[in-house]
Amino acid sequence: MTFWRSKRASTQDKAVAFDLEAASYARFENVGLEISGRTILQDLSLQLNQQRIGLVGLNGSGKSSFVRLLNGLRQPTSGRLEIFGADAVAARKDLPRHVGFVFQNPDHQAIFPTVEEDVAFGLRQLGEDDRLALEQARDFLSLHGASHLAQRPIAELSEGQKQLVCILAVLIMQPSLIILDEPYSSLDALAARRLHAKLESLPQKIVMISHDPSQLEDFDRVVWIEAGGLRADGAPGEILKAYDDDIRAKAAAAGVDDWDRGHL
Amino acid sequence: MISLYHPGTSWLHRLPAGGKLIALAVVSLALMSQTSLPMLGAALGVTLVLYRSLGPGWVGRLAVIRSLLPLALVLLAFHGLTGDWLLGAAVALRLVVLMTLANLVTLTTRMDAMLAAVEPLFRPLSLFGISPRVPSLAVVLVIRFVPVLHQVQLALREAWQARGGRKSSWRIVPPLIIQALKLADHVADALSARGGASGMVPSSGAMARQTESV
Repeated sequence: MTFWRSKRASTQDKAVAFDLEAASYARFENVGLEISGRTILQDLSLQLNQQRIGLVGLNGSGKSSFVRLLNGLRQPTSGRLEIFGADAVAARKDLPRHVGFVFQNPDHQAIFPTVEEDVAFGLRQLGEDDRLALEQARDFLSLHGASHLAQRPIAELSEGQKQLVCILAVLIMQPSLIILDEPYSSLDALAARRLHAKLESLPQKIVMISHDPSQLEDFDRVVWIEAGGLRADGAPGEILKAYDDDIRAKAAAAGVDDWDRGHL
Repeated sequence: MISLYHPGTSWLHRLPAGGKLIALAVVSLALMSQTSLPMLGAALGVTLVLYRSLGPGWVGRLAVIRSLLPLALVLLAFHGLTGDWLLGAAVALRLVVLMTLANLVTLTTRMDAMLAAVEPLFRPLSLFGISPRVPSLAVVLVIRFVPVLHQVQLALREAWQARGGRKSSWRIVPPLIIQALKLADHVADALSARGGASGMVPSSGAMARQTESV
């Protein structure tokens, strides 16, 4: 155990410096992303600095890739991207420590058989001792009113409970920014509402993708991604209205059985 | 859930996982060459006494024997047909004893304790730059995702039946494999999003943050 720990400790000095208090936690300068020859994102320039930012766009618009750039799951292939003041490419290994990611489907995210093991995993990833990590995970679960779930197998939880566990498993790593990729899509309306309130109570900055505009109404800013670029960006009221109008217009223009043109 | 661990506080639960695994290995080696029916019968007796010490409900814990019976009978019949019923009985009995003993260790050892016990065996891997956590993580992933894949299989079967397919079919196997591969992709992403298979380099900044809060 000590052998590999010490090996990891020796690389400590190479860790990239993050500025967690930076006014803009993400700074895109002409950022582009290509995956096996296909352009996914192109020439994006914007800064993220609000507490809670919503992301809208049709499927395939590139918004999932956009958020994956923020925690190092993808690296830009052109331009420059800074996360908390550090270069996203150079710092990609360290990004998960400061940028948590909650996926759309909890079954894709929870790695361990039981709740407490999955929550403890994040701490072990940060170098905590196995036993201490488990103790802290139990404390953390009871702090968030979920101690009754600690020993339960994740496979047996309800969808809402699973997503709560995924959020707590990310929260325990104390990220400064949390990315959520359509976190409510498998939840019923009540579970979605309750998790929304939970997210609202967090001090962390949030960037969230949602197909449900009502979940983004009270956010500070909404960014609309279309065809790999920035279509619009601004206050939720204005952007969500324009997005909704655009969808209605596209649907009307396409006609009922016109599946060739337009998006489906 | 395929984790067979049964929570409890018996003396077997309190024994360290490493000790139980070593004892199991020694007994298994000793019984491997054993063909004497009385000796194997005695081993079965001792095993039953060990189960008994788990307290009330111990008979139910022996359910593993039921799933072993068909295999034991096949072994017995095979040896019988080749003319050696006694050897067949010994082989079948040995199988039952070994599996029941192994099951006893599983019943009384938490998965995390089991993994912590086997992790040192993988330590030489770090000579090749592979974290010894990787193999134990692999074990954990199997346990976690067997029920998930089972769900996927049930969903595919439903989809098959909903469109008029008969009971079950081998035809759902290719889509099941594709879904499993897609699932693997998602899980790989999720693992990277939390710092990857071998964890993150602890930086001084992170440690400071760690201590000042919680």
